[in-house]
Amino acid sequence: MNYRLIITLTFLILLISSVAFAETMTVITKTNVIRETPRFFGPVKAYVKYGDVIEALSRDGDWFRVRFRNITGFIHKTAVEKRTVSVSATNNQRTGVSEGEITLAGKGFNPQVERAYRNKYPQMRYDLVDRVERYNASEADLVSFIRAGGLTEPR
Amino acid sequence: MRSKIFSIIILILFLASCKTMDMDKAIDMTFTVIQETSKASRPISDEEEYFVGRAVAARLFQSYPLLENSRLTNYVNLIGNTVALNSEKPFTYGGYHFAILDTNEINAFACPGGIIMITRGMINLANNEDELAAILAHEIAHINNRDGIESIKQARWTEALTVIGTKAAKQYGSEDLVKLVNIFEGSIDDVLKTLVVNGYSRTQEYAADEKALIYLAKAGYNPEALLNVLNKLKAQERISNTGFLKTHPDNEDRITNIKNKIPEVNTDLKAFQNRTARFNSYLRR
Repeated sequence: MNYRLIITLTFLILLISSVAFAETMTVITKTNVIRETPRFFGPVKAYVKYGDVIEALSRDGDWFRVRFRNITGFIHKTAVEKRTVSVSATNNQRTGVSEGEITLAGKGFNPQVERAYRNKYPQMRYDLVDRVERYNASEADLVSFIRAGGLTEPR
Repeated sequence: MRSKIFSIIILILFLASCKTMDMDKAIDMTFTVIQETSKASRPISDEEEYFVGRAVAARLFQSYPLLENSRLTNYVNLIGNTVALNSEKPFTYGGYHFAILDTNEINAFACPGGIIMITRGMINLANNEDELAAILAHEIAHINNRDGIESIKQARWTEALTVIGTKAAKQYGSEDLVKLVNIFEGSIDDVLKTLVVNGYSRTQEYAADEKALIYLAKAGYNPEALLNVLNKLKAQERISNTGFLKTHPDNEDRITNIKNKIPEVNTDLKAFQNRTARFNSYLRR
């Protein structure tokens, strides 16, 4: 009976701690994806954007298993910033940890500063920068490229 | 016995809820302090780094024309992204993008945030895809190490933080905006001075070389390709001392630094030949 009691108590403590605390993370890249598997080219389950708040469920190497709008999947650790906050703190407008991250991120050198800088120096070749930012190797092309070159698929 | 267990459960739940309340308070307080402290002396964020990088790139395009060759550009982006995915930071705020500058000068620039520029002259220096990957890996390492951003003077960033303040507002009034744009401009100058005139420190260059070796090995490229590139740059030193050769440490020293650090990899000769064949096809050699 003692064993049963210990197991029950341990289970309860674990349950309580998992209910009381949730790990929330904020997406810190312009766009990203939640994948079915913890791999770079795994099937995409959901698209996320900068500032989206997602819930971390567990860690799998360089990947987090996460939940976002009832979709569960994996996102790379470098695409998010992890914060551990209590459930009540998540809903607490006074503390607003996630909110704080977002507002902080929109400050400093931001689009408003860039616009003013561009107005000051209209000769700057931002048109070329925008063009360069549109250079995107598609996932399908990358996979074919890696395989054809006998390279290693990143994990 | 049942009622005893039930009582214990109730007690644990009660204690846990008490603990949670205390923990909440503690966490709230801790985060408030962390937030205030980090806002007062925080480093440049990834998003800010992205805007600095865009401005640096815009400035560089005033001196160097962009090569209009979508096929070759796509190829360089495929190599670069393959290497970047094997770096410790496969995702930056705006992603990695690789541009070719239409000049014979031998040079490459890592703009903070993820835009990497490589000159036609530098591409021509490479003899195969692995060597081109080695050049890009070195630049990706500079971005991962935030070497460009590090060149912004601390005093300038401290001044920026006083203007940015701790308020939540994202839109600045005209006075603050003028101040912030001037600081932004100064920051761009700092980065460009490092990229074009002074170069990174010897330590930063060595670190970028060492990381490049790891990225190459992880991606499946032969890391010895970096050694080949450095030998070619060393040979170029005798001919000229401009661009990359001017801003980087003596290539002999860089060779010495990495010689015993090259990871051992299984070389698949057939795969290497396939890569070289496609390199020659893209370069029309």
